[in-house]
Amino acid sequence: MATLLVLLTIGLPWIGALFVLLTGDEHPKLQHAIASIFSVAAGISAIVLLWFTSDQSVLSIPMGSVFGVFTFLPDALGVLLAVIANTVGSLAVIFSIDYMRGNEQLGRYYALVMFFIGAMAGLGISGSLLLMFLFWEITAFCSYALISFHNDDPKAVAAGIKALIITQLGGIGLLVGALIINSYVGSYQISAFLAEVEVVPFNVLTLLAFCFLAAAIAKSAQVPLHTWLPDAMEAPTPVSALIHAATMVNAGVYLVARFFPVFEVVPGWTTSVLVVGMLSALLGALMALVAADLKRALAYSTISQLGYMFFAVGVGAVFASQFHLLSHAIFKALLFLCAGAVIPAVGSRDMRQMGGLRKTMPFVYTVFVIGSLALIGLPVANGFFSKELILEEGFMHAPMWAYIGMLMGVGLTALYVSRMVFMVFYGERKGKKPIHDGLFWMRVSLVALSFGVFTTWLLAGVLNDLMAQTLPFHDVHAIGTFKLVKEIALAPATWISLAVIALGIGIWILRKSLAGIKDSLRPVARLFENGLGFEHLNQGIINVTKNLSAVLHLTQTGQLNWNILGIVGMLSVLLALLFIGV
Amino acid sequence: MTLPVWAWIIVLPLITSPLVYFIGHLGKARGIFAQRTALLALAATWVAFVLATQDLQLNGISKHIVGSIALKLDGLSLLLAMIALMLGSFVVVFSGHYMAHDDGQEKYYAMLVAMIGVMIGLGCTNDLFNLWIWFEAMAVTSYLLVAFYKELPTSLEAGIKYLVQSAAGSVLVLLAIGLVVLETGTLNLDLIRQTAQSSPALSAAGILFVIGFGVKTALVPLHTWLPDAHSQAPSGISAMLSGVVIEAGLIAMLRSLSALSGVTTFWGPLLMGFGILNMVVGNLMALGQTQVKRMLAYSSLVHVGYMLVGVGIAFSMSDVIGAQGGLFHMFTHGLMKGLAFLAAGAMLYSLHISMGDHRPLLFDDLAGAAKQYPWAALTLSIALFSLAGLPPLAGFMSKWQIFVAGVNTHNGWIIAVVAFAALNSVFSLAYYAPLVNAVYRCEPSVIVLSGKQLPAVMKLPLVLMALGIIAIGIWPSIMNWLTEPAGIALLASLGG
Repeated sequence: MATLLVLLTIGLPWIGALFVLLTGDEHPKLQHAIASIFSVAAGISAIVLLWFTSDQSVLSIPMGSVFGVFTFLPDALGVLLAVIANTVGSLAVIFSIDYMRGNEQLGRYYALVMFFIGAMAGLGISGSLLLMFLFWEITAFCSYALISFHNDDPKAVAAGIKALIITQLGGIGLLVGALIINSYVGSYQISAFLAEVEVVPFNVLTLLAFCFLAAAIAKSAQVPLHTWLPDAMEAPTPVSALIHAATMVNAGVYLVARFFPVFEVVPGWTTSVLVVGMLSALLGALMALVAADLKRALAYSTISQLGYMFFAVGVGAVFASQFHLLSHAIFKALLFLCAGAVIPAVGSRDMRQMGGLRKTMPFVYTVFVIGSLALIGLPVANGFFSKELILEEGFMHAPMWAYIGMLMGVGLTALYVSRMVFMVFYGERKGKKPIHDGLFWMRVSLVALSFGVFTTWLLAGVLNDLMAQTLPFHDVHAIGTFKLVKEIALAPATWISLAVIALGIGIWILRKSLAGIKDSLRPVARLFENGLGFEHLNQGIINVTKNLSAVLHLTQTGQLNWNILGIVGMLSVLLALLFIGV
Repeated sequence: MTLPVWAWIIVLPLITSPLVYFIGHLGKARGIFAQRTALLALAATWVAFVLATQDLQLNGISKHIVGSIALKLDGLSLLLAMIALMLGSFVVVFSGHYMAHDDGQEKYYAMLVAMIGVMIGLGCTNDLFNLWIWFEAMAVTSYLLVAFYKELPTSLEAGIKYLVQSAAGSVLVLLAIGLVVLETGTLNLDLIRQTAQSSPALSAAGILFVIGFGVKTALVPLHTWLPDAHSQAPSGISAMLSGVVIEAGLIAMLRSLSALSGVTTFWGPLLMGFGILNMVVGNLMALGQTQVKRMLAYSSLVHVGYMLVGVGIAFSMSDVIGAQGGLFHMFTHGLMKGLAFLAAGAMLYSLHISMGDHRPLLFDDLAGAAKQYPWAALTLSIALFSLAGLPPLAGFMSKWQIFVAGVNTHNGWIIAVVAFAALNSVFSLAYYAPLVNAVYRCEPSVIVLSGKQLPAVMKLPLVLMALGIIAIGIWPSIMNWLTEPAGIALLASLGG
């Protein structure tokens, strides 16, 4: 049964993708229907898989020679990823029925989205490092193709290629790591590596730990490899919600969580994870605070929230990181899909051209506020429980400077979210009158996700239990949901952070009287608006490469004599090396 | 004197090539007759190939002497034969419409069949002089094909450069052969390997082999003929050049160098060093290109780099996985680059050649081509992403095998080379991806709007090759029957 479910979870979206392509762009209604039906079926299959989690592989495909055996191991970590990918995926597909209506290349869109969903589920359920890497690469490809979906827009194409190259560069860390593990352990099986890690020499293990961390940083858009995510907002918004908020960017967190048991002994590794998380949490929040584009603000917010998850792994709280992963996927997807309703309705992505939409788009306003409550971390929303759990773990296990940094992040989060809600929905209307308040299918997805915001925290106990049962190498202690909630509610860390949140919201409400401070911080703000120089660094690297290429072009003179000189020259160099006595 | 069954894979194309010419010459519709005869010739050679494969599996490596010509059938021979026949068959099918407007088609098909024959012969050789003869024959047949558009000055220019540089390489090879005979007294590759001692003359000979054959293999900086030849030749020939001719040069290099494997341990690092150089220069040069076929030509440099790393590891570490990986990449590259050139050629045909103009295919020409030419666009995209090493496509699998070999050595330098190769693979996306993006635009270019329809028979090879790339990407072991004996053969010739 588990085998069948695994095949369905990965295969249904892929078959759906094929059918959508075969249907052809002349039958858009049929394409919408096929995509929705297959993705919902895949979502159901993934949820049912929760009842069949296991710490053993349920499907093995020997690939011969150097490719090892492809195994599928549906443990709690992996199935969580698959469930999120398939369910949020189906909601993004349903949202797309309205969002992508009238688009000429619907087949390509849905095929790529569905191909992605299957690959993401596969990434989590893979028991073989090579297989996981294959799915990792496929998700990167789909992400690129969907970011640059509007091929006629050079900005979108550039953003797609940038995302592809940065995440692929990080992927080299995973590639080399997988190869090294195979060369010592004799197989690609993750469970074999976790069980027999002693065969790997310690210095090699250190190399592995940091290679994997590099891959995770690139994939999850953590500082300093974060520059691709804000640019990726050129993608159609359901794609931003699915890939760049709820699923693909979680793959990095998943990676460090999965391999935590073997890498925690490497000196400096957990601290690095913690620091990367903290820096991303803070810098992401600061950049969100000064962003004018709604989607970019949400992108920076994603970087920041992923930082919380990295921080959690860094202090050893693997369960907390996964719990926040789940909450974040739901509420961030919700926020992005709201943006996907607002932006076409108003015709702009710039928050300075929005305002007052509370009156004209009340439905979207309500669900956006629900998402915001979760992002800020106010009680009853799922974000409250998961974020407070991380902060509690940080309070107990992290160095004080790190905890304080994360706390500042909480305050900043409250501040930038208040700013976002205000700029879009309050004040006077600055732009065009919105043409709708969320179309039918948009509303279906938004309602489903809002329901999720209020309920997914109840699954904490179940998730915890599954993790304790199916993750033999991770040290997860089973606690029930209500005990967990009580623990969070009574922890001092929680009260401290609620106070900080109040401070953050308060600063926004009192912003007019604090205008003096705000003005004096203007140059700092400008620094953050420009991405703190990381963009310059990116551009610098590109320029150096282009210049090298231009210089090299000069060697292709087109003149036969120079070409022959090249041949004779190389011959002379080699003969000289020979006679020097190499 | 009876020929063994497997020798017919060499003989059949050679004797049918003049037939292709004469039959083509006879009919009024010269092209069609010549094409059909060429297809028959290749079909017959395929039958011989299947028999040869069975022979190798049953009897192992076989040798045969005809007069003073020493022939050998091993895994390497079959690999080169497979690539040549496979690509050659697709190109002949493709060229029916592509070359339909040109004069001299009977010469085209005749030379193509002959080139396939001599390349197979090159793979089956067991002595140096024989190797040189086949190598020269391959060069001569390819000169005529590269400079096929004899009215175009650019085509002739490309042909002359190719000819002169190739000849320079051949002279160096001849010098090397002279040195080897001087030191060992024999031309037979097996005997040379057994008697070769460490000596400066033989080391110099090895270097001369590398440089001499390296011109044809497009080692940097000997590669300068490649971009011109690829962009000026008819697209089917560009596919053959990148897909087989370069590989044949590499096999010639491997055959001759492996005979000298006992002379020094320098060959492995030398090959890997060239590999790195090829990757870097190929990638940087491909980056600024505006013509599609020139970009693909530079991309071939990069892929030769991967092959060199693979076989370099085999030389250094006597590692069969490295050998198999490098040779597997030889095969997948033939398939991928062949498809890329044929798909680009299909668009070149529809947009330019079918209307009689010989302008080069620019990146900008292809904007929005996917709507009108969905199959050519899709197969081109598959080829390009496979070249970039994205799974689940063939290019990833062959590169992976080379990487496994490298990391398994546990040698820090070699692992660094592997990481560097992976880096280059990622870098190549910077020039492959924009082309795919351009092809899938909604707004077609002016040139696309005025383009002609693509005939179905030209789509057939494209689809088959794309399916092959996907199949190997999902199930890489399906090519083990070809690559494993090849890897073992290479290692055997190294004395391992």
